[in-house]
Amino acid sequence: MSWSDIRREAAFVLRKKSVPLLLLAGFALSLFAVWTGTVEVAQQQTTIGRLLEGDKTDRQEVTHKHNDYGYIAYYTFHLTYAPPAPLAFAALGVRDVYPWKHRIRMLALEGQIHESDTQNPELALAGKIDFTFVIAVFAPLLLILLLHDLRAAERAAGRHDFLVVTARTPASLWPLRAGFIVLSLWLALSIPFVGGAVANSVPIGQMLLVSTVVLVYLLVWAAICYWVSRFNFAAPVLASLLLGGWLSTTFIVPAVGDVLIEQAYHGPEGGDILMTQREAVNGAWDLPHETTMDAFVASHPQWQGKTQTNSLFEWKWYYAFQQVGDEKALPLARAYQRVAEQRYAAAGWVALLSPAALLQRALTNWAQTDARAAWQYEREIRAFHADLREFYYPFLFNGTPYSAASLAERPQFTPNYNTQNYLERSQ
Amino acid sequence: MSEVVILASNLCVDVRAKKILKNVSFSARRGEVLALLGGNGAGKSTTIKTFLGLMKPTSGSVELDGVNVHNDPAVVRQKVAYLPESVMLYGHLTAVENIEYFLSLSGKPAAESDIANALKRVALQESAWHSPLGGYSKGMRQKTAIALALLREAPILFLDEPTSGLDPVAIDEFNRLVSQLASQGATILMVTHDVYGACHVANRIGLLRDGEIVGMFDAPENGNIDSETVHTAFAQGALK
Repeated sequence: MSWSDIRREAAFVLRKKSVPLLLLAGFALSLFAVWTGTVEVAQQQTTIGRLLEGDKTDRQEVTHKHNDYGYIAYYTFHLTYAPPAPLAFAALGVRDVYPWKHRIRMLALEGQIHESDTQNPELALAGKIDFTFVIAVFAPLLLILLLHDLRAAERAAGRHDFLVVTARTPASLWPLRAGFIVLSLWLALSIPFVGGAVANSVPIGQMLLVSTVVLVYLLVWAAICYWVSRFNFAAPVLASLLLGGWLSTTFIVPAVGDVLIEQAYHGPEGGDILMTQREAVNGAWDLPHETTMDAFVASHPQWQGKTQTNSLFEWKWYYAFQQVGDEKALPLARAYQRVAEQRYAAAGWVALLSPAALLQRALTNWAQTDARAAWQYEREIRAFHADLREFYYPFLFNGTPYSAASLAERPQFTPNYNTQNYLERSQ
Repeated sequence: MSEVVILASNLCVDVRAKKILKNVSFSARRGEVLALLGGNGAGKSTTIKTFLGLMKPTSGSVELDGVNVHNDPAVVRQKVAYLPESVMLYGHLTAVENIEYFLSLSGKPAAESDIANALKRVALQESAWHSPLGGYSKGMRQKTAIALALLREAPILFLDEPTSGLDPVAIDEFNRLVSQLASQGATILMVTHDVYGACHVANRIGLLRDGEIVGMFDAPENGNIDSETVHTAFAQGALK
């Protein structure tokens, strides 16, 4: 294979009207996906910036208005959030299903986490047309359209034998044509991605990794198309075979896998956790204080002897029954998490049968927009909330007089919040 | 005596249990034109496809310049120019572009002046050289393909019904070209229905019927094969 072979086949392929049109379609799809992804990520960043400003103002107002730890803990919201990673523009992942921002108070936590986990199921079903979706779903379709009749068109035109006999080497014809088409499509899809990656400050290593993986994915599909194109059938038959394979691996396998996984792994739903926690909290109003405090001290023995209440309402009792409510819901929350992890692991096995699902899984993992990233964010919320309790409990149970200066020591949520202590405590 | 360039030895080809060629043997020496005459389904195109490496013999062998085609398929690409019966060059390319493309594909690009000379040699009108082939008649496309075969300067030519679709003047010109190429050392195997054209250019004629060689005629020294004899044998075969 020589440079003149490459130039010849490049010029030849580009003179076929359908090829530039399909390459242009690929470029346009990729550009659209990168643009919408960049806009979405920018909106998330703007939202975070706006909420941070509001959060600061709210806290100042609450601190100014109240001079009691109980009131301040009750009325103060704390913004927690998982900012989009640089690569998120290319793989929006499950950030529209799993919430990436909360306004947390020192009340029972489970309800605050799970009250939003049934949002947007329709969006989750349809998926978003992000760069990952374009590559995983549309790119194989474009390749099928470009390559299915690589040989069949020449057979139908009566040129196949003539071409085979004329070609200097076997490699200077079909592999070259197919290779040029694959590389052209890769460039058409990757150029918008590289533009978006530069605009979103994606590290160069990650940019190269994604571009390489996209190329490998296209090569896998190209190899399938190339292999099928050897069969001595008419172009529509070959296209049907390839489209059947694309449909099966891209949609049917993941859908069937999803149903099987749902049937195989049962667990509580977010609503169950929410209801259990709320019923426990609401029921506590009607229980003697001692009942709540005994349950509280069982898990927090350090406050033994400091749970005595002298009036119908005391903040330490209020926060104790919030804590007890969380603890009642904790087995359900753990089961919920365990089942989610089992389903995620099982989906990984199913993805081995679906190149599209495997690619989406890899890209969302690198973009930190997958379920694992969402769980990590949830752990950060739990760790932060645990630190909030640890900060307020000594003031509440020791009856420490209020000092505004002490609030300077109050935990502040920052992205990638340290979860180490929380994980050690909860084991 | 010059060496054998094209050789079929006891060639048998079966397709889906049907015997297409049965113990076919023939040879052509350097500079000879061998014509295989036969009716539809006689096995002419199968013979050529087997020599081109596009079909495998069930038994027997085919050799080009002493090399077994199926042991070393590269010999075909190196030494053979092939002119199929119905030449479908690319309709969206002009004659010159088609020739440039296929010459580049064969690894032997030619200068524009050589392409022009070849097109003049096959008498393709100059006004058509830069028009897309989609608008050409069958004869014009055939002439373009013949020009391409000439430019390949291949020592072996396989011609599958080469004069089909050509007008009488073009057939005469084509036959003259074939004789000229043979006199320059090219070895040519052509399969055809055209008894008179074959007798005009061929040194040897093989009659192929139902996959078997049923007659072989050699041209006398400095003369042509008698077309009446061949025609009679061909007609008898066709009637059987």
